[in-house]
Amino acid sequence: MGNGVYIAGAGIVSPLGEGLAATVEALRANCSAIRPLELFPLLQGEPLPVGQVRGVDAHSFLPRTHCLARIAAMQAMAGCHEPPDAVILGTTTGGILTTEQLLRDNAENKELYRYHGLNSVAEYVAGEIGCRGPALAVSTACSSGAVAIAMALEMLRSGKAKRVLAGGVDSLCRLTYFGFHSLQLVDKKGCRPLDADRHGMAVAEGAAMLLLTTERPDSPLAALLGAGLSCDAYHPAAPHPEGRGALMAMRAALADAGLGPADIDYINLHGTGTPENDLAESKAIRTLFATPPSLSSIKGATGHSLAASGAIEAVVAAIAVSKNFLPANTGCQHPDPALGLAPLTQPVSQPVTAVLSNSFGFGGNNGCLVIGAPDRCPVSASAQVPAGLAVHGSSCLTGAGNSAATLSLLTQGVPVAGMANLDRISANLPPRLVRRLKRLPRMTLSLAIAAHDDSGLEVKPSAVFMGTGWGALSETYDFLTRLAESQEQFPSPTDFVGSVHNGPAGQAAIMFGATGANITTSGGDYSFEQALLAADLMMKEGDASCLVLGVDEGHQALSSLLDPSIAPGTLLADGGGALCLSRTSKGAQCLVRVPFYQSSAPEGTMDLLIEALGGSQVLKSKYALVLAGIPAAVREEGEAQLARFREQTGCQAPVIRYRELTGEFASASAVAAVMAVSLLAERQPPAGGEDGKKAILVLGLGPYLSAIEFSRP
Amino acid sequence: MDKLTAELKVKIIDILNLQDLSPEDFDENARLVGGDLGIDSIDVLEMVVMVEKDYGVVINSQEIGEKVFSSLAALAGYIKENLPGSST
Repeated sequence: MGNGVYIAGAGIVSPLGEGLAATVEALRANCSAIRPLELFPLLQGEPLPVGQVRGVDAHSFLPRTHCLARIAAMQAMAGCHEPPDAVILGTTTGGILTTEQLLRDNAENKELYRYHGLNSVAEYVAGEIGCRGPALAVSTACSSGAVAIAMALEMLRSGKAKRVLAGGVDSLCRLTYFGFHSLQLVDKKGCRPLDADRHGMAVAEGAAMLLLTTERPDSPLAALLGAGLSCDAYHPAAPHPEGRGALMAMRAALADAGLGPADIDYINLHGTGTPENDLAESKAIRTLFATPPSLSSIKGATGHSLAASGAIEAVVAAIAVSKNFLPANTGCQHPDPALGLAPLTQPVSQPVTAVLSNSFGFGGNNGCLVIGAPDRCPVSASAQVPAGLAVHGSSCLTGAGNSAATLSLLTQGVPVAGMANLDRISANLPPRLVRRLKRLPRMTLSLAIAAHDDSGLEVKPSAVFMGTGWGALSETYDFLTRLAESQEQFPSPTDFVGSVHNGPAGQAAIMFGATGANITTSGGDYSFEQALLAADLMMKEGDASCLVLGVDEGHQALSSLLDPSIAPGTLLADGGGALCLSRTSKGAQCLVRVPFYQSSAPEGTMDLLIEALGGSQVLKSKYALVLAGIPAAVREEGEAQLARFREQTGCQAPVIRYRELTGEFASASAVAAVMAVSLLAERQPPAGGEDGKKAILVLGLGPYLSAIEFSRP
Repeated sequence: MDKLTAELKVKIIDILNLQDLSPEDFDENARLVGGDLGIDSIDVLEMVVMVEKDYGVVINSQEIGEKVFSSLAALAGYIKENLPGSST
């Protein structure tokens, strides 16, 4: 069970208001904050009801998501004078609201797009609160906030951090407003979860964060007792009709908390108000709970704030525990008899010691949290250290083609940069499976199949961890283009479903029937590193194997605007890499670990990196090769860091600046990783390398310093 | 087979990217959604948009979609009945 994890601080901004007190007051009033959209003008029609946050000051260049995140972060950190060791934020929108307007204005100054990426939200928050450790961006659609908190829980239990700020944030934007409308999932009369006459959700916005710590504060708000993740592996947008994944995640969360169904006093439902979600969730609850406890969805009051919702509802769960107060299922007048549930029609005051909070999302991504009274925390503090990660198979894809074509050139030092050929990528994919999929999901599936094939493992991977710097650019661009060209009349539901960052990982889960954790990270040039970190935290001993991927697509219109390393006229390059991992080193090709990932801005980060790798003496004798990732946008800084690394350690191992070979794309380090695996598996020292040395280092340089180490078992 | 049915076959193959299906092999009376073609709820919504855009006929997929999209022939029939300016 490991260390107890306490909620030392909480921040929340939602359509209900700003701060815990305002939120409690609004929930006691049991009124809906859902109103017609005002945030951006519409080209036609009446505005749909949404959950908009009032009174957020417009910022000259910072996107609204970042502003919301800052408000919640500052509240959560108010009582703490030391920065956390890590920030983990769930978000799906990043700076898209700003980008939408820039694209409509044909803005070409890429400086204006610098806050587009999901990672920019987490990094901005980390900068504001002085956190030098990892700033991870998790994007698992509507479960993002809950999944971010689940990752923070594991990071704390493992002892890798003592304090983590975790939560979720999303702002309203055209992509989600029109996207959910195109799926006919929006209720024009506002949102009425669990009502017999419910017609859908209300798209909303907000942010919430928890300051989590293993050191018991004087007066903790509550304790985070457990978390459970699962994937439906069923459909890109619709929930499994029997709530299969929801049930798995709830069961896993209870087991993780060491509680049984009878210990739960209240369930905060995902309860979006769509006919399908509420029905599937009710079936799962009735399967797990012989007599369901008090339960409600607050989305009739707040709307569905997507990546923020899991975090907002975690804060509401903490409020329930600390105030002995249960919010009502606002908006539900006549509970649907088909659901067999009796949601709270009025707010209730009663003793509460443990709450289950549900969050489910596109891609069948489910995350459930158990939050309880601080005295429920386990006292034992013996963290179990899981075995390391072992690589059983790998694959890569570049402009040169598949693994064989790419690796034969890379090992000779010949560039492979270019756009991967889509027809050739699709050759190993079933046509019916991929007919709706564009570039990023096709590359992902192709890599996933090849890595699993290479592993020789018969058992299919049960969990998927994917890093992508920019997500599905083709789908995002096509959605926004058709929206603008049709004067906002005919947005594409297919492109909307495909535009979510976790779409490709969800497709991989469907293909493999992978019902375990399914996490997509978006860490800019460190996206693959973040996916590996996520895998190390979340891969359970019971998972037979998992896939870790880093994939990005080059896009004619968007790449040069969004990616700081791609100038107009730069040869577009894309592709990625995939590893098939388990926690069993028997039969493995090599071992992998991520010993370091921190901001390079503070003094002394290089010393910390060297220390984390075992110090100069170890370094000199250990590494046969260093694969250095220096993105073009930070070339000077990266070269200076590399020079300092070599000078301080005396490490004489040859260095390959792999982006000179792979070309510039955010997840190029995944290709470098596969190159490292291949060199170790072939037992061939690379050109100029020394045999006898057992490891290869993939070094990430620039605004963060990261290290991935591959070694022979 | 009338002109509208023939036109719909081409459009649906195109927007749903049914690469291995030719208009000649597209049986207008076969089950359209949930049948052999693997057409699901997202495809239905994509067809809803196409029908509104190209024919000016609005379909609410939650309420009447199931009947309208039971087969391509049923879809053609619904469009004909509800064309703007149609007398029926």
